[in-house]
Amino acid sequence: MEKNVAIKVENVSKKYCKSLKRSMMYGVNDIARNTLGMGSHGEKLRKDEFWAVKDVSFEVKKGETLGIIGSNGSGKTTMLKLLNGIFWPDKGKLSVRGRVGALIAVGAGFHPMLTGRENIYVNGAILGMNKKEVDEKFDEIVEFADIGDFLDTPVKFYSSGMLVRLGFAVAVNVQPDILLIDEVLAVGDLSFQNKSLRRLAELRDKANAVVFVSHNLEHVRNLCDKVILLDRGKIMFAGKTVKGIEEYHRLTRKKKMISVKNKKGFRSPLHSSSGDINFGTVGLLDERGTKTGKIEAGKPLTAFFEFETFRGIEELYFTVGIRDERNYNCILQTSNYAGKNRFRNVSKGKHRLIVKFSTPNLVPGLYFPIIAARNAVTNETYEKNFNLKPFLIEGDGASRGIVLTGSKWKLDKIGLKGRKRE
Amino acid sequence: MPEAVKTYQPDNSLRKGYFSIFREIVDEIVENRWLTWQLFKRDFLTIYKQSFIGVLWAFIIPLVSVGTFVLLNQSGIFVFGEIGIPYPIYAVLGMAFWQLFSTGLIASSNSLAKARTMITKINFSKKSLVIASMGQALVSFLIQFGLVVALFAFYGIAPSPLVALVPILIIPILFFTLGLGFILSLLNGIVRDVGNMLSVLITFLMFLTPILYAKPTEGLLAVLTVYNPLYYLAAAPRDIVLMNRVSEIGGFVASSILAVAVFILCLIIFHLTETRVAERV
Repeated sequence: MEKNVAIKVENVSKKYCKSLKRSMMYGVNDIARNTLGMGSHGEKLRKDEFWAVKDVSFEVKKGETLGIIGSNGSGKTTMLKLLNGIFWPDKGKLSVRGRVGALIAVGAGFHPMLTGRENIYVNGAILGMNKKEVDEKFDEIVEFADIGDFLDTPVKFYSSGMLVRLGFAVAVNVQPDILLIDEVLAVGDLSFQNKSLRRLAELRDKANAVVFVSHNLEHVRNLCDKVILLDRGKIMFAGKTVKGIEEYHRLTRKKKMISVKNKKGFRSPLHSSSGDINFGTVGLLDERGTKTGKIEAGKPLTAFFEFETFRGIEELYFTVGIRDERNYNCILQTSNYAGKNRFRNVSKGKHRLIVKFSTPNLVPGLYFPIIAARNAVTNETYEKNFNLKPFLIEGDGASRGIVLTGSKWKLDKIGLKGRKRE
Repeated sequence: MPEAVKTYQPDNSLRKGYFSIFREIVDEIVENRWLTWQLFKRDFLTIYKQSFIGVLWAFIIPLVSVGTFVLLNQSGIFVFGEIGIPYPIYAVLGMAFWQLFSTGLIASSNSLAKARTMITKINFSKKSLVIASMGQALVSFLIQFGLVVALFAFYGIAPSPLVALVPILIIPILFFTLGLGFILSLLNGIVRDVGNMLSVLITFLMFLTPILYAKPTEGLLAVLTVYNPLYYLAAAPRDIVLMNRVSEIGGFVASSILAVAVFILCLIIFHLTETRVAERV
């Protein structure tokens, strides 16, 4: 391994077993094979096994912070456990330079019957500190944890906050060369969180390399030099953080789209019809008028609604809206405004309504069109359908909220000028 | 300071060769001795906590089993054989050595399963965990040895001066127990039946081994005892205390060699296969 590389992962794969009984069987089998000096044919999947991490390669140089992002079950934590040496790869090779410290599960290894003082020593030892280190760091740990008089009380009488604080205090006082962090930042109240963040910044400065796993993309964006995006154990993207987060959003939207499409039987409450009209295919049209499922953020949005009328309708109007995932109506417009866009004498048969929103400016995400068709004279409702095929608005992940907009920022100091003049 | 590069790859140790990894094992154990001590202290401090009479349990448990045998003997149901010294001393002393094996084996075989959450979240020496669990057996041994001293005083007998050799003579049984404990802790970590089976088996072995009765001279049990290393390993330190000599020195030496061989083999197997346990424990 080159001198400037802190972590090197080469084609690493790790498999898990879904069935408990089989897992037991395979475990004993593997032990027997190894005992007899045989390899453990790790490259093959046995029944009920699957790849939790598959063929992953990356490198972290000294001084770099790597983020690992991905949805639940994508293999992030497994990857971290592999780097930590808790799990061993089934295929491939993984090398780390120096002492590895992990903020994975703070407080694991605490014994409820032991006092805070005793647990600090035991936990310190488990985390790889020697006696001298714990002795030196002891006061700092106690102060950081802020447990006051409870130092000599069994930790089973601690509040959950105290327990977590103590666990964190011990963990952040180990000084590793390679620091692994798994979603531990949201611990305690605001002041403890800030204290922890400051301490983590110190640790990161001293460490050779940091690997950071989090669902909090803001943290990832701020802390990481580069990211890898995992999905079902495979690397989908490796590179610049900003680009990686965009890819992550893109992937999440795509997955949501698929899961919404596959969901069955949620039609009824969101759909009511008089039987005079029935809506069929719904979607978007691109600039050339061809059907599409997604558009770029900031571009005009053209939606079409195909429907069939079962009798002639003398005066029809529509209400069309766009809802986001939180069910908020981002756009809601009715065609019948000031007497405009009332469609007269709609004959029996198939029709297509096209609505063009010229400046929708919605942030990237998954959106659901909704529509209602009503009689403009009697105001009776023919069809209300809130359950139509969703579509995607694609773009970078920088904007959140509802409205997409550019922004310019400026910081001024105020109040001083006026005083000077006096 | 140059930072060591650690490499993980499947069958890591297997590649290095079966016996050349011994150095690696010794280094790991030495390096982690403070951790082992801390884990031992943790087990020791917690074993009798949340209990009013605490450490007294270590006295009560052997006294009850010995008491049962005394009762059985007085009713004529059970015959100890020819012993030549007060039975309680013989039995409590024998039990003290026997439980090094029984308590030690049960504690060590449960050590990985009990530390499940730690093993799956922190990377630390699992050998330390198993070794530290033997501490429980050593502590109960010391307490029971105190009981033996009290019994000697009660009967007005003095133990032989060679009692000082006891710490050396128990080394083989400790090696034997720890060796088996390594393998069983792994297996029990993966398949919990192992632990349950073991509790049954150990009670059975206790009756099979002449601990609470004198060595039988005829019958199937006499034949079995000749080939029972546990008998020699537990009897030798007892004989030293009671008779000032090891009566069957040949059997003891052979059993000790066996014990050390079992220990080394099991330790190597443990080292080769311990990487499998975290994902299945």
